Amino acid sequence: MWFKSETAALGDFEQLVLFGVLRLGDEAYGAAIRQEIHARSGRDVSINAVYTTLDRLEGKRLLRSWVGEPTAQRGGRRRKHYALTPVGTASLRRAYQAVLAMADGFERRLDVK
Amino acid sequence: MMPQPPRLAWQLLARRVPAPWREFVLGDLEEEFRARAETDPPSARRWFWRQALRCAIHPPRTAQAYPYSTFSPGDFWMRTLIGDIRYGVRVLRRSPSFALAVIVVFALGIGANTAIFSIVNTVLLRPLPFQDSDRLVRLFHVPPQSTFPGLKTFSISPANFLDWQRRARSFDGMAMYQFREFALTGSGGAESILAAAVGKGFFDIVGTKPALGRTFLPEEDDPAHGHAAILSDAFWRSHFGAAPDIVGRTLTLDGRRYDIVGVMPPKFSNRAWSATGRDIWVPLAQTDEQKAVRDNHNLQAIARLRPGVTVAQASAEMQAISRQLEAEYPKEDAGWGATVISLRELIVGDIRLSLVMLLSAVALVLLIACANVGNLLFARALARRKEIAIRSALGAARRRVLAQLLVETLLLAGAGGALGLLLAKQALSAGATLLADQVPRADELTMDWRVVSFVVGLSLLTGILAGAFPAFRAGRTDLNETLKEGGRHDSAVGVRTRRVLIVCEVALSVVLLMGASLMIRTLANLRNVDAGFDPHGVLAMRVSLATSRFHSGGQMFDSLDHTLAELRALPGVQAAGAIDDLPVTGGSVQPIVLEGHPELLPSDQPTVNVRTIRPGYLATMRIPVVRGRDIVDSDDNVMLVSRATAKLLWGSEDPIGRRVSLPLQSKSTMMQVIGIVGDVKQSDLTMPVDPTVYEVTRESLTDALAKGSAGSFGVAVVLRSTVPPLSVAQSAVAAVHRVDPTSPVDDVKTMDAILDDTTTAQRFSATLLGAFAGLALILASVGIYSVLSYIVRGRSREIGIRTALGASASAVVRMVIVEGMTPAALGIVVGAAAALLSARLLEKLVFGVSASDPLTLALVTGSLAAVALLASLVPAYRATRVDPIAVLRA
Repeated sequence: MWFKSETAALGDFEQLVLFGVLRLGDEAYGAAIRQEIHARSGRDVSINAVYTTLDRLEGKRLLRSWVGEPTAQRGGRRRKHYALTPVGTASLRRAYQAVLAMADGFERRLDVK
Repeated sequence: MMPQPPRLAWQLLARRVPAPWREFVLGDLEEEFRARAETDPPSARRWFWRQALRCAIHPPRTAQAYPYSTFSPGDFWMRTLIGDIRYGVRVLRRSPSFALAVIVVFALGIGANTAIFSIVNTVLLRPLPFQDSDRLVRLFHVPPQSTFPGLKTFSISPANFLDWQRRARSFDGMAMYQFREFALTGSGGAESILAAAVGKGFFDIVGTKPALGRTFLPEEDDPAHGHAAILSDAFWRSHFGAAPDIVGRTLTLDGRRYDIVGVMPPKFSNRAWSATGRDIWVPLAQTDEQKAVRDNHNLQAIARLRPGVTVAQASAEMQAISRQLEAEYPKEDAGWGATVISLRELIVGDIRLSLVMLLSAVALVLLIACANVGNLLFARALARRKEIAIRSALGAARRRVLAQLLVETLLLAGAGGALGLLLAKQALSAGATLLADQVPRADELTMDWRVVSFVVGLSLLTGILAGAFPAFRAGRTDLNETLKEGGRHDSAVGVRTRRVLIVCEVALSVVLLMGASLMIRTLANLRNVDAGFDPHGVLAMRVSLATSRFHSGGQMFDSLDHTLAELRALPGVQAAGAIDDLPVTGGSVQPIVLEGHPELLPSDQPTVNVRTIRPGYLATMRIPVVRGRDIVDSDDNVMLVSRATAKLLWGSEDPIGRRVSLPLQSKSTMMQVIGIVGDVKQSDLTMPVDPTVYEVTRESLTDALAKGSAGSFGVAVVLRSTVPPLSVAQSAVAAVHRVDPTSPVDDVKTMDAILDDTTTAQRFSATLLGAFAGLALILASVGIYSVLSYIVRGRSREIGIRTALGASASAVVRMVIVEGMTPAALGIVVGAAAALLSARLLEKLVFGVSASDPLTLALVTGSLAAVALLASLVPAYRATRVDPIAVLRA
């Protein structure tokens, strides 16, 4: 594309990660996102996959991150928290709309809900 | 304490996860691990491992640090390795029986090595469980060699110890201690308990704090003070149900009240050192009179070296002090030196040689296992020549082909190692009780990181050892020839290589079998040693008489004689007697003075084993009276001497009617010799007979009682029965208690079992070496069999042609057998030479047989030749069944 798009196209796993961040709000960090994806989608992904994706999404400026305080539960290590940027929110909205639009009317055929 | 994630997995992660991510990934995993560990720790550990491995294989990448287009060289290497591993797993899955065979052989070899290494690790490598245990030393006298030939260490005397304590500068502290036995009464029947009486500062020197209460105060080391006691953890649990309010309660020992002031932690009760392997500890509390004794050596001493001082330096200082004391007290101290030996050396020194021998033996088993697996792999590599040739033709570098084959072997070795670790763990826990009697520190036996790294290292080494040669050989395949051959396997390739493997296997087996046979013969020799008495049908038990209950030795003997009479009246009992220390268990050694001879300096005085007996002992043990008569109940101040004593003291003169004294007991009491009896081994079956005197005197005992040396007087009561000895044990104990219900009875054993106990070390070595040799023999015969089968299959065409041309079946059989026996014979020769070279290691462990005994060697080589022949027979028979027509048509 010769112009800079306002939003970015998202892969399937990227969408799951972004939804995870959105759902967890202030508590969005690697392990929590991993557990959220596992609990809701049943995909037992590894922590490295989550971090690789988080990093890529941050590289695309869809996420921003900050580092929290160290806790004893983590052996004195800090958490890296993530939140959606406006571009990230817009991209996720677009991807979700695309799926909704494409899936419209197929609920019964695909046996969902 | 918070649960910790598995360390190894954690370290793997820390290495593999790139620096910018490390903190967050590790933190996340640790946090989730903790949450999971709260409900199910084992599954949390498994989960952590899974996550760690996934991260290690595909670490998270950062867009900034690693642009997608390039891999680091390490990454490439890792990917190749992972590819090889995946391919290897697929290949091995296709031939599960081959994989299983190799894994089992590896598991046996690695498992045996791991088990022995775990023992070595615990016994020899790990420090003793005391604070700065390397600085703990024991102090000993070195006795005058003219009186105690061959004895390097001796108990110490109180007065000398106190002088050492005042003068020596090499130590942070030193303390005396002494073993005691008490009769515990109060709740129900009497019980004999083991105690140590410890001098001032003992617990500080050992460096262990009590788990409850306190250790002894300095003022408690005083006979005028009340009695205090510290309990062991086990005793506290077994006798007080681990009551938390134990401190301040009391115990009744030998009829006296003791205040409990503390409980030691469980790790302090180390059975390897007798001073800590006790039920209770009490203060030594010597009187001034006892402290002044210089010529009676009946105490032990422990000391802690000052930091930076070596054992040799401390020993030198102690020798210098001893020389001063010799000059100051020539009468008592002439000829008595001193020495310092590290506590650890004393505990594990004796077993070191056996363990090193076993570790070498088990390493040989692993080498044989490697040769066997090498053989299998070699056959497989040859069968896969075509696959390898195709890969090479498509441009695979030789290095890559080699790496692929090696990775396959390493996979097998890794699986074998894991299985071996489990086997070793099982074997050790199954054999724990057996080990406890045979190896010091066996109660500390656990597997730690050293054992795990040993297994990992050994598996790698084994894989490389077994896999490198076949892989190398297969990688050298001639492409052109192999592809042309088109997969026909009608020539035996690599026969020479495999013959070399047979030579190695047979040679190693000879060495192992030789060692095992020597140890078994040693054991047999020890069992056949004439100890000077007849142990069969004799029951022995230890009866502890509380000294506080008797006013004189005579009274104590009367009580004992009454007990013996009760025992003799039992059905099935032929004879009964008593002695203070049983044969082969050691006992008192004292100088002896003949009447009319001047008392010499202690260093020049002849010494003999001194035993106190009651009538019936000789008859029970069937020790012959050579001249004179046996003792009777009414005898007092008489003595029986053994043949060796008669010869030592009187030469060719007749000792009967002579009078002697034992100055350590009483200088004035003279005892008359009334008989000469047969010699008995008092200390050890492997040593020559000890000159012994058997005394019957009431006076010396009365003196001992009057001196009030606290504790019990333990006597061994023996009885000979016409029925199996253990069947009368219960009624015998009951008979003892009828006479004296407060005397504890323990160590009820047959005399045969007591003799067996003295050969545990040899039995341990013989059992394990026998097992290893058996394993080696099986592996070697399987090796010969498989190689010969392979050769016969490879040469079936040739054999078919020979048969067609008129070769007889016997000629074919002979040909195959010669094929198999040639490398076996070479192996036997090499092995015999190696066995003779390694004889030096065994020389100190064998008894009654030379480590290079020609008869044993002949037997071993003969039996190996027979096994090799047997292993050749099946392939030879198969060769005669080759159908010439079928072979020629193919």
